[in-house]
Amino acid sequence: MSGKLVTAITTLVARPDIGPWLVLTAEALVSLVMVLALYGLARALRLGGDVRIADAAHAIALAEATFPGFDAEAVTLDRARIGALVRNREGRVMLIRRHGARFVGRELTNHKGIRLDRHTLTLETGDPRFGDLTLDLGADAQSWAASLRRLNGDPREYAA
Amino acid sequence: MTLPTLADLAQQAAASGLDIVPFAVPFFVLAIVIEMAWAARHAPGAYEPGDTLTSLLMGLGSTLAGGLVAGVIALSAGWLYAHRVATVPVVWWSWIAVFVLDDFNYYWFHRAAHRVRWFWASHVNHHSSQHYNLSTALRQTWTGFPALSFAFRIWPAFVGFAPGMLLTVGGINLVYQFWIHTEAVGRMPRWFEAVMNTPSHHRVHHATNPRYLDRNYAGVFIVWDRLFKSFTPERDDDPVRYGIVHQLGTFSLPTVAFHEWRAIGRDLWRAPFRAKLGYLLREPGWSHDGSRDTSDRIRDRWRATHGDD
Repeated sequence: MSGKLVTAITTLVARPDIGPWLVLTAEALVSLVMVLALYGLARALRLGGDVRIADAAHAIALAEATFPGFDAEAVTLDRARIGALVRNREGRVMLIRRHGARFVGRELTNHKGIRLDRHTLTLETGDPRFGDLTLDLGADAQSWAASLRRLNGDPREYAA
Repeated sequence: MTLPTLADLAQQAAASGLDIVPFAVPFFVLAIVIEMAWAARHAPGAYEPGDTLTSLLMGLGSTLAGGLVAGVIALSAGWLYAHRVATVPVVWWSWIAVFVLDDFNYYWFHRAAHRVRWFWASHVNHHSSQHYNLSTALRQTWTGFPALSFAFRIWPAFVGFAPGMLLTVGGINLVYQFWIHTEAVGRMPRWFEAVMNTPSHHRVHHATNPRYLDRNYAGVFIVWDRLFKSFTPERDDDPVRYGIVHQLGTFSLPTVAFHEWRAIGRDLWRAPFRAKLGYLLREPGWSHDGSRDTSDRIRDRWRATHGDD
């Protein structure tokens, strides 16, 4: 909101025939235009970019960041490097996926919702915010599907 | 037309409050544009358009929500002032005193906002971005009023500080905190880092690294963290990862604004009766059966493997 706008709004407020709701609405609309302009600028500058999981070490680092002390032992990467599965020594499995210009992870605790279709695995974490993810794992898909079938825990709940 | 003197302005601000935030908004916008230009050249990943849109819309919604309840908060402060135990004069030293006192109150509000789930539910959205830029500063709560977090800031009216003074210094505090939400600034001079909250100190506060969890609650003066043992410096060998322990994985506005309130409701519904209060008043991540992680547990587990360096 510019200084001129502040003056204009102050003048409007001083007029008894113009209610504060109109002023608040005008202020909100101007702010919304600015918000959309900044969003447009971020897009025009191509900020964020096209991030991918670089390699297995990157996927392990992401799993460790999601769950400190994860102690990863096996990794498989999606062919497009937009997601990965990471397993630790205790047999726990972390699903990593891209989120904007960053990555997020969820632990897979149950084999329900895991579907194999030749080289692709479709996975559900039970967290609606995370959604489903289909990974193209190539030849790894069969062996990982077999190991994921052993998961039989309760769905994990995610608060903050 | 003659310009009012500083003393006149101070008296006017004490009487009715001078909210500087609307005047700062053009500078906020300009600073974000400059930071985006910096990011385009040096760190394109520092911004993500979807994340920025969510942050800015949270800021807009917070302003609207704040506008709707400002009168109630002003009335509450006014009621306290009407029943004050003393009257603090409006002079230069009382402005300094109320600014420092308000920042002290902010520190304890902010600490409670991280250590009590009820307050965390309204504060978590500010931390839910995995990015750390000036738009993150504007990712503000829509539910601060029902969480009653304003109670931390208005009690000095009962001691005798004019409510207008509290509103004025509260706005200055908020505006100060805008510029520290950036990766574009490394470290400030040592004397400044020693006393003031800075981008480096506040990056630590927004981190999910176990070492940094629940540290550096300061608003303007970092001395509160040093005094109350909650200070941790940023380290070059432990780059900050931003966000919350369980990253949301969505830019959805309703999710960002209300997800923790929904989670509290779910927990209250399911928990055994004796544990219900714990899900409201204990630290985020607490559970009656120990099945979830608090920040203390995460840090302890991490220390067990990395040592306490």
